[in-house]
Amino acid sequence: MSRTNIVALLIFGAILGYFLSFGPDTTRKFQAGIYQLLAPFLSSGSGLQKQITSVRSGLKSLEELEKENTALRVENRELRATNQGLRDVEREVNRLRHALNYRERSVFKLLPAVVVTRDSSTWWRSITVNRGKEDGVETDMAVVTDEGLVGKTTTVASNISLVLLVSDENCKVAASVEGTREQGIVQGERVVAGLTPALYLNFLSKQADLKPGQKVYTSGVGGVFPSGLPMGAVKSFRVRELDGQAQLTPAVDLSHLEDVFIVTGKK
Amino acid sequence: MIFFVLLLVLILIGQIAEFFIPALPWLYNAHIYIVPVLVFYSAMALPFPLMLAVALYAGLLLDALTVQVIGTKVEISMGWSILLYAVLAGIMHGLRPLFVRGRWEIHCVLTGICTSVIILAQYLMITFRRGSLLFTPEVWWQIGGPGLIAMLMAPLVFWFLQWLGRVTGYSYLSERSIFE
Repeated sequence: MSRTNIVALLIFGAILGYFLSFGPDTTRKFQAGIYQLLAPFLSSGSGLQKQITSVRSGLKSLEELEKENTALRVENRELRATNQGLRDVEREVNRLRHALNYRERSVFKLLPAVVVTRDSSTWWRSITVNRGKEDGVETDMAVVTDEGLVGKTTTVASNISLVLLVSDENCKVAASVEGTREQGIVQGERVVAGLTPALYLNFLSKQADLKPGQKVYTSGVGGVFPSGLPMGAVKSFRVRELDGQAQLTPAVDLSHLEDVFIVTGKK
Repeated sequence: MIFFVLLLVLILIGQIAEFFIPALPWLYNAHIYIVPVLVFYSAMALPFPLMLAVALYAGLLLDALTVQVIGTKVEISMGWSILLYAVLAGIMHGLRPLFVRGRWEIHCVLTGICTSVIILAQYLMITFRRGSLLFTPEVWWQIGGPGLIAMLMAPLVFWFLQWLGRVTGYSYLSERSIFE
């Protein structure tokens, strides 16, 4: 080995050792710095991707259009029926509001954000959004949509943030099941085989006997996620050796996220 | 030198592009990785010190953009990807004489294998942290799938980079006589 190569190897080793010695805070700062540097490129890429997708989705065959037309007709009929049902519900809600003197209010302060990128790696489920420290975002803030919980912020740069999705195995959320006293921890799966990731509600009692369709909400235990955010619906329940486990269908379609809200506090 | 800088720029573009390339649902959601192909080409086309520089740069980018910091826990510490890239690129660099003589087949296959090795190593590292070692068919496809795609992409990327090397005045082909 030549002297140049040995010197190069020594310098490489020293730099590698320096990076390996990074703690969580330094790593987070470094990561935020890199994301901040790349933010303009990531935003441009996101815009370009949306344009390509819109052009591609606009090119449909006649057969597809016919199918879509039929599906839309069916959907239209369904929506009319739902609309009628909702009018009844609206009337009832207004009646109850008046009766109980409820004020129309939203519990949380929500900061709207646009999804810039989706996960690029095989083993981690995360997205980046176009809000950061300059907008008041901090680490460990809940991210939601009108349908339910999306995840939490992990690394926050000046105007871009990394959001860990609920479908990631590392994102653990305390949850409770509608209509029961059952509480557990919702976790994603390590390997997602299908298009829609599944969530698992662990540490339930063996006697829980949850039924498909039962709704699961955040319980607020732990302090990161506010209580009452929809997480999903029970798909199946099984008894394990030490506890019960329910498989959930996520409330939010995590594979098609475009706009989200960051919960910055309570009103 | 121009070629080396261009390679660094291409690696950056590749890393950003990976964010926008969707996973392949027909291949168990396998992702497409461009950067490893570029790094392993660099391992064969560049001298040892520059190869280390490319491994450092690509590993750093990969770690910075994918590493998860949750609370006070870092899942895979910064630097591990640098080490992985350097070791694998070092192996590829060892086969440089063959590459310089114009034999690409082994390197294309090795590029695919090394891409899968990176994903496998990541999987093993997170598995040791999280527990419960799972090796389902989906796991194997998500590890092997990107390798297969990299293997298919490699000849095209190598051809393009070789053309780029010639255009910018950098050609390792001048070293051919040393190895023959």
